[in-house]
Amino acid sequence: MRQRSLIAITAALAAGALTLTACGSRDSGDKGSDSGNGGGSTVVIGVDSPLTGDLSAMGLGIKNSADLAVQKANKQKFVKGVTFKIEALDDQAQPSAGQQNASKLVSEQEVLGVVGPLNSSVAESMQKVFDDAKLVEVSPANTGPALTQGQDWQNKKVRPYKAYFRTATTDAIQGPFAAQYVFNTAKKKKVFVIDDKKTYGSGLAATFTEEFKKLGGKVVGTEHINPDAKDFSAVATKVKNSGAQVVYYGGEYPQAGPLSKQIKAAGAKIPLVGGDGIKDDTFMKLAGAEATGDLATSVGAPVEDLPSAKQFVSDYKAAGYKEDYSAYGGYAYDSAWAIIEAVKKVVDANGGKLPSDARAKVTEAMQNVSFDGVTGKVSFDEYGDATNKQLTVYAVKNGAWVPVKSGTYTG
Amino acid sequence: MSGIGPPEPGEGTRAWESRREEDAPAPLAARYARRRRIAAALAAAAVLLSGGGYLYATRPQQPTAHARRPYPQVPYPAQVVDLTYLDARPAPAGAPPHSFSFAVLVSVASGPPVTVTRVIQPYAGLSVTTDPPAPFRIRVDSARKITITMHVTECGKAPRNAGLPFLDVTLRNTRAIQEQSFIPGPHYAQDLSHALEVACSNRNR
Repeated sequence: MRQRSLIAITAALAAGALTLTACGSRDSGDKGSDSGNGGGSTVVIGVDSPLTGDLSAMGLGIKNSADLAVQKANKQKFVKGVTFKIEALDDQAQPSAGQQNASKLVSEQEVLGVVGPLNSSVAESMQKVFDDAKLVEVSPANTGPALTQGQDWQNKKVRPYKAYFRTATTDAIQGPFAAQYVFNTAKKKKVFVIDDKKTYGSGLAATFTEEFKKLGGKVVGTEHINPDAKDFSAVATKVKNSGAQVVYYGGEYPQAGPLSKQIKAAGAKIPLVGGDGIKDDTFMKLAGAEATGDLATSVGAPVEDLPSAKQFVSDYKAAGYKEDYSAYGGYAYDSAWAIIEAVKKVVDANGGKLPSDARAKVTEAMQNVSFDGVTGKVSFDEYGDATNKQLTVYAVKNGAWVPVKSGTYTG
Repeated sequence: MSGIGPPEPGEGTRAWESRREEDAPAPLAARYARRRRIAAALAAAAVLLSGGGYLYATRPQQPTAHARRPYPQVPYPAQVVDLTYLDARPAPAGAPPHSFSFAVLVSVASGPPVTVTRVIQPYAGLSVTTDPPAPFRIRVDSARKITITMHVTECGKAPRNAGLPFLDVTLRNTRAIQEQSFIPGPHYAQDLSHALEVACSNRNR
């Protein structure tokens, strides 16, 4: 009996040790976004981005990154008594779909904040809907200056909507930053400017052009393309005949890739330069091998310069998302986390519970949110713009975007 | 890899085999056999505990906030240095004609001291010197006021109306050497344009 008892104890200890080990291994790989708090309140963070269509690479990166932030908040029990969930809606990069999504999110009382959208043109259709409902919106990707500073932003800045914030830098800086690089560093003095007629593309092309001219550069041609088109051979021929040393394109990668390819095929072996909208790996797939030397500016510092971003990249991979986090993943994570921080402020100030006017309170709290995020210090100025204004120029080398210059706006 | 499967058996988990041995009859020398079994069971328990402890200690897990930074990582210099434009200043005595100056404040937010090894601007037709002359060092929480003096070497190549002019600053700390463009904003742009207009106006040539 005695030896049996000892053996039984041994077995029990072994089972205990193994059980302990097994329990310890469970905390990675749980992809649920609503686990962790059991009981208490549920707060939904809406996500609006293109989840299907040409721009879905960026849109899915936004959705997944917001989900990652929510997972982390729940796991940490960051807001006591509150479990966060995301509700992701597809705007297909269409303003009308975005507006419908905004109305749907407003109608759901558990939604206390929204991450998105990707496109400035979509944001224009959503802003008023959210603002009327005092539902805070934090875009990780909109760069159109008018969204925060009003239509007459170049002469007099007036914030149109108190409920709108963004973590991305505006084209008021991005366009001139690109112009400075192209003129001074790349030494290109003659440019052909093309845009896709959309809010983002035409706005970015305009801010680039203005600065390029101020520096003494010459615009040797301009064209507008149809975003639905794939054949740009006529424009490519015009570029070839213009004698331009560089092409600036205001638009997004689904058109920028084929445009770059067709310009080179027409015989103009000159770089195509664009903004954050073309800085996706899909660009290289569409543009082909001759894209080497093409340039893109993008908001933020290179990921490899930011220890916080490295952690994000590692966590993103560990979470097992199918899609890449793309250009705005870090900004989407920070946008979601800004909402989580604002909810925490409101709950803490209300004795640990959500107040009845939670949406208005969260929107108000957002103005003073400040934390060290994936992309650096996250806070907002009086217009709702990010105070962290870093930009990077990337060049295509060996089939990848490689950072070649970084800048910080400190004005 | 996010999925963690069942834990692999660690060293010592073969102790289960000794249980099978126990089932075998040992009619002779039963007393010694009993002692051996007790000793074997205790040894197995010790091995199992140590094996389980090892597995537990080395289990896959999400890194905690502390575990993420096992050692304090020195930040890249460009991520901790701020350059703020202050105002236009008269050119120092002894500066060549067609010179003008600005004051900027350079600070380091965290980490080890940062050395500014060079300050330039990207426009043809302008040269730059600083006071103190580069290289100079800046420590955390001790911002330094730097006077930047520009000399117009060729008015035709100087940007009279740049919207967001840069200052390119080379920074070095124990982590890296980086060149960062600082864009001091609209006040710097206005003061630079004004200074260039004055320096390159006919009466000053």
